[in-house]
Amino acid sequence: MFGKKTSVKRGLKIIIVGCGKVGVTLVEQLSKEGHDITIVDKNAGKIQEIANYYDIMGLAGNGASFSVQMEAGIEKADLFIAVTESDELNLLCCTVAKQVGDCATIARVRTPDYSQEAAYLREKLGLTMIINPELEAAREAARILFLPSALETHPFARGQAELIKFAVPDNNVLDGMTIAQMGEKLAKEVLVCAVERGEDVYIPDGDFQIQKGDILSFVAPRKMTKPFLKQIGFQTTRVANTLIIGGGKAAFYLAKQLIPMGLSVKIIEQDKERCEELSILLPEAVIINGDGTDQELLEEEGLSWVESFVPLTGIDEENILLTLHARQVSHAKVITKINRITFKDVINRLDLGSVIYPRYITAEAIIAYVRARKNSMDSNIETLYHMYDSQVEAIEFRVDAPSAVTDVPLMDLSLKKNLLVACIFREGKILIPSGQDCIREGDSVMIVTTNTGFEDIRDILL
Amino acid sequence: MNNAMIRYILGQVLRIEGILMLLPCIVAVIYREKEGFVILGVAALCFFLGTLATIRKPKSHVFYLKEGCVATALSWIIMSIFGSLPFYLTGTAPTFVDAMFETISGFTTTGSSILTDVEAVSRSVNFWRCFTHWIGGMGVLVFLLAVIPLSGGSHINLMRAESPGPSVGKLVPKIKYTARILYIIYIGLTLVQIILLLIGHMPLYDALTITFGTAGTGGFAIKSDSIAGYSSYLQWVITIFMILFGVNFNAYYLILFRKFKKAVEIEEVRYYFLVIAAATAFITWSLCNTAMGFAEALKHAAFQVASIITTTGFATVDFNYWSGSCQTILVLLMFIGACAGSTGGGIKVSRFVLLIKTVKKELNSYIHPKSIKKIKVDGKPVEHEVVRSTNVYFITFMILFVLSVFLVSLEGKDLVTTFTAVATAINNVGPGLALVGPMENFAHLSDLSKVVLMFDMLAGRLELFPLLILFHPSLWKDAFHQKVRKTKRATAR
Repeated sequence: MFGKKTSVKRGLKIIIVGCGKVGVTLVEQLSKEGHDITIVDKNAGKIQEIANYYDIMGLAGNGASFSVQMEAGIEKADLFIAVTESDELNLLCCTVAKQVGDCATIARVRTPDYSQEAAYLREKLGLTMIINPELEAAREAARILFLPSALETHPFARGQAELIKFAVPDNNVLDGMTIAQMGEKLAKEVLVCAVERGEDVYIPDGDFQIQKGDILSFVAPRKMTKPFLKQIGFQTTRVANTLIIGGGKAAFYLAKQLIPMGLSVKIIEQDKERCEELSILLPEAVIINGDGTDQELLEEEGLSWVESFVPLTGIDEENILLTLHARQVSHAKVITKINRITFKDVINRLDLGSVIYPRYITAEAIIAYVRARKNSMDSNIETLYHMYDSQVEAIEFRVDAPSAVTDVPLMDLSLKKNLLVACIFREGKILIPSGQDCIREGDSVMIVTTNTGFEDIRDILL
Repeated sequence: MNNAMIRYILGQVLRIEGILMLLPCIVAVIYREKEGFVILGVAALCFFLGTLATIRKPKSHVFYLKEGCVATALSWIIMSIFGSLPFYLTGTAPTFVDAMFETISGFTTTGSSILTDVEAVSRSVNFWRCFTHWIGGMGVLVFLLAVIPLSGGSHINLMRAESPGPSVGKLVPKIKYTARILYIIYIGLTLVQIILLLIGHMPLYDALTITFGTAGTGGFAIKSDSIAGYSSYLQWVITIFMILFGVNFNAYYLILFRKFKKAVEIEEVRYYFLVIAAATAFITWSLCNTAMGFAEALKHAAFQVASIITTTGFATVDFNYWSGSCQTILVLLMFIGACAGSTGGGIKVSRFVLLIKTVKKELNSYIHPKSIKKIKVDGKPVEHEVVRSTNVYFITFMILFVLSVFLVSLEGKDLVTTFTAVATAINNVGPGLALVGPMENFAHLSDLSKVVLMFDMLAGRLELFPLLILFHPSLWKDAFHQKVRKTKRATAR
């Protein structure tokens, strides 16, 4: 009588310390997944605010203190996440939690000093995971700069396969082609797994006709992506130089990734002291001390001829304005970093090109871990990405044990609608599966679907 | 304003009421009373209308504090209107106003009655009358939250609007489980009391109805002399359970999860027991002076103190004949009320604890004008916002009280009757003094006074603001503008 029973399994008990930007994103994403969440922060007003919007419990206090953790229910918690402003506090929180509750712990550590020793810290302190949104954002930006015609690229199967998103421009060969035709004429080993047209997202079948303006995502073995993009008329050489605005942690990490690959990097930073620091840390980079939002300065430093432009200031509005300006005056590849997620609709309508959300990247990693924790032990989530404004999930499962989905040809499985088995990673090789292929024990299988919330490979069945 | 969501919630509340009305129907079947058909008809009507309102699911689940308050206040009003139909249609209550008075008195767990002869009422209707206490005690919206999957976290606003106390928190992260835990404790305590009453050889029907009255801290009795006719054992059981239902349910939660130390540390509960002990001691001493035996005096004193402070309103003696000081104590206890987070009414012990601490702080600031001291409860600093809202609550309460006393005084009854009638209604107690005393009833009041008292009962149960907000003009303007905009858009198409 009380409407549909939603078949939500009892969620995990999760404690999150710190209600900053990352904390709130985690609350938003994890409460959507149905977990029991308790948040701890020193600022009672902030907690009250969040508790009004999400179905969670708030607790004001110092998350590193034993008594506060006890009150938050650390003894019965499954997962403890520390994402306060301070790295040291996060590590202390997790160390205490580990001793008291013996639960899985995740800490945010983003200072370069520690992040170089992340593996050591993780092992010695018994942490489950160390997250570093700035570093992840820099990695994603670097991947895009290596393949500038893509809007987004995500690595799968330990980097052997890639999920690439791009927009179909006017007068492209793909315009008017069906997916099946594309497979025959252009490339067999490329699989289009999701298409965004207007506000809708489709998981296409063979008869789906591509139109200009569509935003396509395809999966392909790493070595196939560039030839394919070349074939359909995209430039595939990586950029030769980049101009970064703002000299924060993300800028440092990005420069650190790009310089060894031979790119010339220029960073504009306002604070003199930080400039000096950066010049010591990054001797190969050109560090400019000045206001990155000064149009004259940007012109002087060559915005009009630079091949890529990455505004990484701490203020979203500045980043967006800089992006819009750059798109007007130059042909540079632009990547915009957005920290807050408010006014997302407005941002989506602006023609920004590649956009990265550091907070989402972090949340995805944690959700992948949490979902894997919830399911039985015979399959595991390796990677998880939210695409198209969280309407589509791409998940990579490791299949460790035989089950209903293994050793049956895919065409004989009764799969859920709007779901695609996009690729199988078997014995070091990438396989774009057809109907005759089957999933075997030991495979890594990548699924693309609009049904969100998969925890286990068997969830693909009806 | 999310009108669709409010409509949906009202529909669900009606459906639940319809289902709950089936219980008195079962009683009617057992005692072969034809009133059962009337109740069954009303139940079917509630269920039908409720289903009609819930067929279309609201598109947006966005739900803010004002929606929570409006939904709560309207739910209680609609529940009372439909809940009064059995009384009106069976002729138990002579007029519709009387029927509404009886129902609101039931749902708000007040227990003031307009019935001149309770024992003449048919058993099924009387069962419904007592059952309204049980429903109203913990709140029907809390029940709704426990059973219906409502997505989104902002539904805490529903619970906040319905649950008594200055700051409403959750016991566990999910509101659904919080509501379930509350109801499990509630049902558990209810069952224990029923069993203990049955052991004392009370008939099952009496045990059920009286337990409903105790659990909700309501006070409708099925005998004209309230509880006076039962044995001492039964009276003691009821005394203890009245006190237990007036304790903050957080304490039970902590005990359930073996955090005894924390449960004992709740300041409010300690003061609550302290006040009960002090008042009982004084009245016992006073009664002993009037040539009553000690055991008898203690029993009556404890029962009356428990009944009044938890705002239940049962009685074992007519305290209209007690000394002035004893009566004054009882009236003061009415205002103090039970603990926050219990089923009881009144201003709540926790608010008084805060108010007294504020006064102490104020005095301190005269001695050390520049001193800074945070008010602490349970060893934790209290947010300024909570202190402020407690002060405002107290002032609003007093304004409403004085206005109501004036309106009821137009009737021309004596001051004690007028004063205690309003006090007993706004604090959800039940009996007052003089003409509205424990062995009297409210039938002789005029319709105007009854309407005023009904409003007071609802305002007291919902803690003033959810009900008062209905009178805020911008709220209605808001709802109206939405309608206009919608029709404009429709015509534009």
